[in-house]
Parts: sequence; C-alpha cells; structure tokens
Amino acid sequence: MTAGTKMTVRDVSVWYGAKPALSNVSLDIEREEVIALIGPSGCGKSTLLRTLNRLNDSVAGARVQGLVTLDGEDVYAPATDPVALRARVGMVFQAPNPFPKTIRENVAYGLRIHGLARGRADLDAQVERALTRAGLWAEVRDRLGDPALSLSGGQQQRLCIARALAVEPEVILMDEPCSALDPIGTARIEELIGDLRGRYAICIVTHNMQQAARVSQRTAFFDAGRLIEYGATSELFTNPRETRTRDYITGRYG
Amino acid sequence: MRRHARRRRAAEHRFRLLGRAAVAVSIGCLLFLLGSMLVAGIGGIDGHFLRGTDATEATRAGIGAALRGSLMVLGLTLALALPVGVLAALYLEELAPRSAWATLIEGSINNLAAVPSIIFGLLGLLLFLGTMGLPRSAPLVGGLTLALMTMPVIVIAGRSAIRAVPGSIREAALAVGASRVQVTFHHVLPRAWPGILTGAIIGGSRALGETAPLLLIGMRAFIPAAPTGMTEPATVLPVQIFLWSDQIDRGFAEKTSAAIVVLLVLLFAMNGVAAWLRHRGEVRR
Amino acid sequence: MTALLLAVFGLALIGWLAGHARALAFTASRGVLPRQQGWYVAVWTGLPALALLLCWAMMRPADEITLPAMLALLLALVGGGLAFARLRPGFAAGKRVERIVVAALFAASMVAIVTTAGILLSLLWEGGRFFAIVPAGEFLFGTHWSPQTIEGGDPTAGMGALPLFWGSFFIGAVIAMGVAVPLGLLSAIYLSHYAAPRTRRWAKPALEVLAGIPTVVYGYLAAVTVAPAIRDLGVALGIGAASSESALAAGLVMGVMIIPFVSSTADDALSAVPRTLAEASLALGATPSETVRHVLLPTALPGIAGGVLLAVSRAVGETMIVVMAASSVATISANPFAPATTVTRQIVDLLTGEATFDSAKTLAAFALGLVLFLLTLFLNFVALAAMRRRGAARA
Repeated sequence: MTAGTKMTVRDVSVWYGAKPALSNVSLDIEREEVIALIGPSGCGKSTLLRTLNRLNDSVAGARVQGLVTLDGEDVYAPATDPVALRARVGMVFQAPNPFPKTIRENVAYGLRIHGLARGRADLDAQVERALTRAGLWAEVRDRLGDPALSLSGGQQQRLCIARALAVEPEVILMDEPCSALDPIGTARIEELIGDLRGRYAICIVTHNMQQAARVSQRTAFFDAGRLIEYGATSELFTNPRETRTRDYITGRYG
Repeated sequence: MRRHARRRRAAEHRFRLLGRAAVAVSIGCLLFLLGSMLVAGIGGIDGHFLRGTDATEATRAGIGAALRGSLMVLGLTLALALPVGVLAALYLEELAPRSAWATLIEGSINNLAAVPSIIFGLLGLLLFLGTMGLPRSAPLVGGLTLALMTMPVIVIAGRSAIRAVPGSIREAALAVGASRVQVTFHHVLPRAWPGILTGAIIGGSRALGETAPLLLIGMRAFIPAAPTGMTEPATVLPVQIFLWSDQIDRGFAEKTSAAIVVLLVLLFAMNGVAAWLRHRGEVRR
Repeated sequence: MTALLLAVFGLALIGWLAGHARALAFTASRGVLPRQQGWYVAVWTGLPALALLLCWAMMRPADEITLPAMLALLLALVGGGLAFARLRPGFAAGKRVERIVVAALFAASMVAIVTTAGILLSLLWEGGRFFAIVPAGEFLFGTHWSPQTIEGGDPTAGMGALPLFWGSFFIGAVIAMGVAVPLGLLSAIYLSHYAAPRTRRWAKPALEVLAGIPTVVYGYLAAVTVAPAIRDLGVALGIGAASSESALAAGLVMGVMIIPFVSSTADDALSAVPRTLAEASLALGATPSETVRHVLLPTALPGIAGGVLLAVSRAVGETMIVVMAASSVATISANPFAPATTVTRQIVDLLTGEATFDSAKTLAAFALGLVLFLLTLFLNFVALAAMRRRGAARA
C-alpha cells in the first residue's frame, strides 16, 4: 500500500445467489485521483462500486469474499459499522434520485442524520457550501424551498452530488452519473468532477469511453466479472496491453 | 460525534425491537384465538355433533343441519357468482371497448367489493323478501344475497388472472385468423383458469364465514331439522355459532367453540387449496 | 321448476345435435363449422325460454307454474325450429353466435351496475320514506335514540342517530385504528426491511390468516373473553362506568381483525417506493430505521393513508363483532370502558323479529343503511384517489 492509496481491493469476488458477479478483482483507489471503471453491461463494474460502500448488504443473497480496505481498515470486518462507512464513502447513482422533499432538505438530510450541524445558521451555511461545490448554488439560491423534483435532470443530478458532498465524504462513488442526462448536463458534471478531483478520491463507472478518457487518471477495464486491464488512462487508451481491451475501446464489441 | 453515533445505534435497535414486537403481538393474537377455540371446543366434536341438528338441550345439539345449510347456500352462491363473475371479467378485460361505460362498470365493481356486507343484507331483505316475496330464512335467498356479494370478488380476481396471460398468446391466435371471442374462450380463459378458481375459492370462503347479511334475511330462527329444499327454512354454520353464543346454558359454550373449530377447519382447507392452486400456477408459468 | 329447467336444457341439446347433424350434411365451406351451426340452434332454443322463465320467476314467484312452463316449452320449440330452418350451406352461424356471446358477457358485467343501482335506489327509496316521517335534521343530529319504544307515540322522538354515528366512529375509527395502524404498519416495515427471508415466508401468510377468520368468531372472542376482562380491568381501575359491553372490547378485537388490511396496503405502498431512493439514503450513511422514517414513509404516505381509510371503511361497516360485544343502548361517551353502540348494530337490532316493511322502525334501519353506504362510498373514493396519486407520482 502506497501513501497515496485511499482504498484497496484485494482478490474480491461477489455472488448474487449462486451467480458470480465479480471474480478475484484487485485494484487501488488513489487519494487525489479519478479512477474510471469501464466495460460492457453486466461486467461487474457497478457491483464493485456497491461493494466498496457495502450497499450490497441490503441485497438479499449477495455474498462478498476478499479484502476491501479504507485507510487500511477492513471494510467488511465485523466491527465495522456500515453506517459509519457510508458516511465516509458517498455515492451518486445512475439516474438522479433526489428525495421527494425540498431542495434544501435534500442536502440537509445527511447533515441532520449524522448530527453534523450546530443550529440552523450552521446548517444553512453547510447546505450552501455543498450546493456551491456542486456548482448548483447560483441556480437554486432563490428557490431552496421548491421541490427537488421541479429541477431539470442535470440539476437534479448535481443536487444528488451536493447531497453526497454535504456529509464531507472522503471517497465518492459515481455509477454512470451522466447516463440519464443530455450533452449539456453531461458536460457540467464532467467539469464538476474535474473541480472535485484532489479533494476527494473519486471512482466513476461509465459506459462512455470518451468520458473515461476525459475525466480519469486511471482506468480499469472489466469483462464478464474479471478485471482485464488496469493502468494509467493515457496508457490504456493509446496502448492497451490486452486485445480484448483494444477491441472494446475501438468499439468492436460491447 | 461519537455520542451521536451511539445514540443512533440505540435508536436503530429500538426500532427493530418495536417492529419485532408488533409482529409478535399480531401473531400472538392469532395463536391465542386459535388456541383458545381449540382448547374449549375440541372435546365437543364427535360423530353425533357433526351429524345432529340444533336442539334445546346442549347435549343433543349438533351442526349437521347447519353444515348442510351452509353447503346449500355456498353451492348456490358459487353457481351464480362464478359464471357471472368470470363472464364479466372476460368482458371487461378482453372485449369491452374503452368507454365511459366500461369505466362505470369497473367503478361499480370495485365499489361493490368494498361495500359492508350488511348493506347486501338490506338489499336482499328488500329485493328478495319484500319485492319478490321469497320465503324467509331459505337457502335460496341466502345464496342469492351472498352471490351478489361474492361476484365482485371473483371479477376482481378473474381480471388480474386474465391480465397475467401474456399478450403474445392473443396476438398469435389473432394472427391465425381467430375471432376475439374465439381467442377469449380458446386461449385466454384456459390459461387464466387457475387464477380465477383461486379467486372463486377465496370469495367462497368469505361467503361461507359470512353472518350479518343472513341475519337480516331471517336466518336466525331455531331450526331443529336439516333443510331438504332450497326454499325450506335453514340455518348456516356461522349463524348457528351466533345463536349458540347467546345461550345461557353453559353446555352451549363448548358447542360454540366446537362449531367454530369446524368452521375454521373448513375455511383453512379452502384457503389451502387456493394457495396450492396459486403456487402451482406460479411454478408452471 | 327443476324438471322444467332440465327440459329446456334437453331441448337445447337436441337443437345442438340437430343443427350439427344438418350442417354435416352440407358441403364444407370455408370459415363455417358444423359445431357453430349446432350452437346457433341450441342458443335459439334455450335462451328465449330461459329468459321467459326468469322474468316469470321475478314477477310471480313460486305460484302458478303450469302456464309459464307451457309457454317456455313452446318458445323453445318455436325458437329452435326457426333457427334450424335458417341453416344453409355457408350460413355464417359463427358470427351470429358470437354476437350473442358478446351480449351475454356484456349482460354479466351489467349485473354489477344493476346491483349498485339496486342498493342505492332501494336505500334511497326506503330512506326517503323514513325522512318523510322523521325530519333529516332530527335524525342526523338528534342525540336521543330509543326506537324500540316509540311505536304509537311521537315517531320523531327517539330517532336521533348521533350517538350511533359517534359509536361507529369511536369504535371503528379511533379504537380499532389505534390497534391496527401501529401494529399493521410496524409489522409491514419489520417484515419487508428487517426480517430474514425465512421469517417473512411464514409470518406474512400468518398475518393474512387474521383477515380470513369469520367475524362471528371475532365477535365470540370479544363477547366471551375480551369484554369481561376489560370490565374487570375497568373495575380494578375504579372506573364507575366500566361495562361488559364496552367500546374498548369491540374496538380492540376489531383492530386485531383489521391488522392485515393495514399491513398489506402499507407493504404495497412501501415496496412501490423506488429502490434507488432507499439506496440513496443508505449510501449517505443513514441507518435502516432513518431511511424508513425519513424517506420511505413520507414517500409512501398517500398509499398508506389510502389503506388506512379503506381499513376505517371496513371497520365502520363491520357488524358481527359489535352485535355480539357492543351495547344496544345508545349513549355518547368518550370513555372506552363505557358501553357504546354502532350504526351496524342498530340495523340488526331494528330488523330483528317480524317487523312489517312500513313501520318507522324498519324504515329507520334503511336510513341508517343509507348513511353507512354513503359513508363507505366516500371513504373508498377518497382512499382510491389517494392511492392512485401515489401511482401517478411513481410514473
């Protein structure tokens, strides 16, 4: 483990019931980098993401084997509280999924449950900070009491990012965050990922090769539940070692 | 921060306990009910009790006549409600044009399914006894009244069973030139039949346990003989339970519990068959 | 009557066989089956005769059977004969039979409308006759109810039904819901979000069993076991009004009966909440109970509220438990240990015995039935609207 490593994954396999979803995956998530997970549908990249914050715990029949660590601590150790873990490892989902509450309450939710705000003024300040960091503050500052569902798709997704940022996580997992957005919304999110890099370790699943190339420093290519290739993004896209990787990134299958 | 986390863990634990307690209390009530009836009634069940008729003395009283009355009423109920219900369900799902009229039919069926049973008793009293002059306390009137009550249940179950038949089957049959009516009767109905039957059994078991509307059409008299015809005065099992529950004679307490045990056994058997049918349908699909 | 029906069906069968045999003799033509020709004759033999018999049974029941019997048999013969005579090679009997079948299906679905209309009209009619004797305001807001003693005297005295409405509300909507809502809701949450799959597999059907037990059994339990215990408890607590016909006993038992209605509608509403909302909350580090309380319950609220309203409608219309365990004396009291009566209980009491159809007592029962019907209609309407709104929000 190097000093810059935030999370490590060692020989991790995941099953849903009897069906293997991920086999013997090992990789590192670095502190100040964006790592992109790419691969065809059903290759296990989303499964890996949900393994990192133990969201698979709530799926009946899911089973995880191997070692996942956060700052060197075993994420799956019996003493680890998944609730505390998830406060440190935030997640943004495929389609925007704001709670059916106001814009303000969406961001305040995490702060409230974790008891992170001292009084109303502090809460408001933290909500503003999270929205600012997600690049949404200017657009919603006058309508914080409006329902979150009144925002556009792209705004909703940035709200979901703000919601995750508000609890000050150390890692942010993003599961195809732009797949439900139009090109403008996608561009804003990609820009935002660039701004957030360095402050958080970011792990993003994407179907879009250009996006992976644009936003990430490292890329991991998965196929059929296995990690095929893993390395610096510039290296992997210009000079892949494996033929399967090359076939995939040149669009020959997948 | 740490104290906050501890408090949250405690709240989580309390919530889980609360949920478990709610399930335990609910199922505890069920077990208490079944257990107390079984303990009080099991001793009263023998051959004489199952074959006998109502009597003024507890020791001679039996439920044979009430069982017979129940079977007659249930038979008539299903004989009327099942065909009408199935045909109405087929019409609404397969043939009805999407119109305000169909919406009205749908609405009245959904509403009928939620109307209190005693209202059906009022209707039966007025329509069958008052207007048509049918005899009081007769299985004929009981069956007619309960059929009106059971029909919407069968329609609703039938519709969901019909809706579960894949559309590809209809299209395949239409594509070889079958008419809509042929598709309905040759392809949709056979596939939906297990689901419809499940609904019919559930509707029937509700009718078998029903008491209130039957009281209104006069089924609360002392009937010391088994009914021989649809227009003879008769009593049914739930009404017999109601009548005995009021008796001062302590001997009837055991009889009441015994009759309840018999009624529950019948109902559980019916529901068991329904569950088995549904399970078989799910496995095959 | 049975023999007559058998005869009609027998004639129809003969008609089928004759039509079928006749059609077989024709040269086959495309799209015309002998079977359909058989059905054509059978339908025309059976239906008119059966329709005649049905009409007769409705209008002149049970007496004088010879005349309609002769008429019916004649109609069967004529109908069948005419239909038989129309058979030709290539005669599209199938289409005609189908038209009749569609008409029959339509008629079956009309039974529901006719029943609804029948209920509404008969209650309105009888209720109207009642309100011609007793002013509606007197009935709806009067507080003195003793219809059993009014014969002969002033019929409007003792026809104030407010205590009945109060009793129905107090037992069905307050006490019963006080039991059923917390138990049903918490059970649904526990079984869908906490319990192991194995527990869920047996506990959910076990809860459903509560809804399948006949109300007369609950009534017996309430009258024999629960009511005396409540009275003893009330006496021990020093409550003077403690009665063995208390609102509490009937309401508690009714609540237990209603648990599965609340739990299954709550379960439906909770599982209709998109999974990603729950995951978003969990991913923020919320505990399962925080997720349930802050995200799932508020989102599912319209559906849950609709389910509770349906449960109230069922509780208010429930009869046997209150007939067996509640009181026949009408008083307005918020003391759960005091006796209480309900609308349904009074309907049964008023129609007990050989009352004539015209007495104010009998008519009062129908007026009460009208109020009950309109109330449950309203509750169901609001409940379904609330549940539909949830469906719209999801889409």
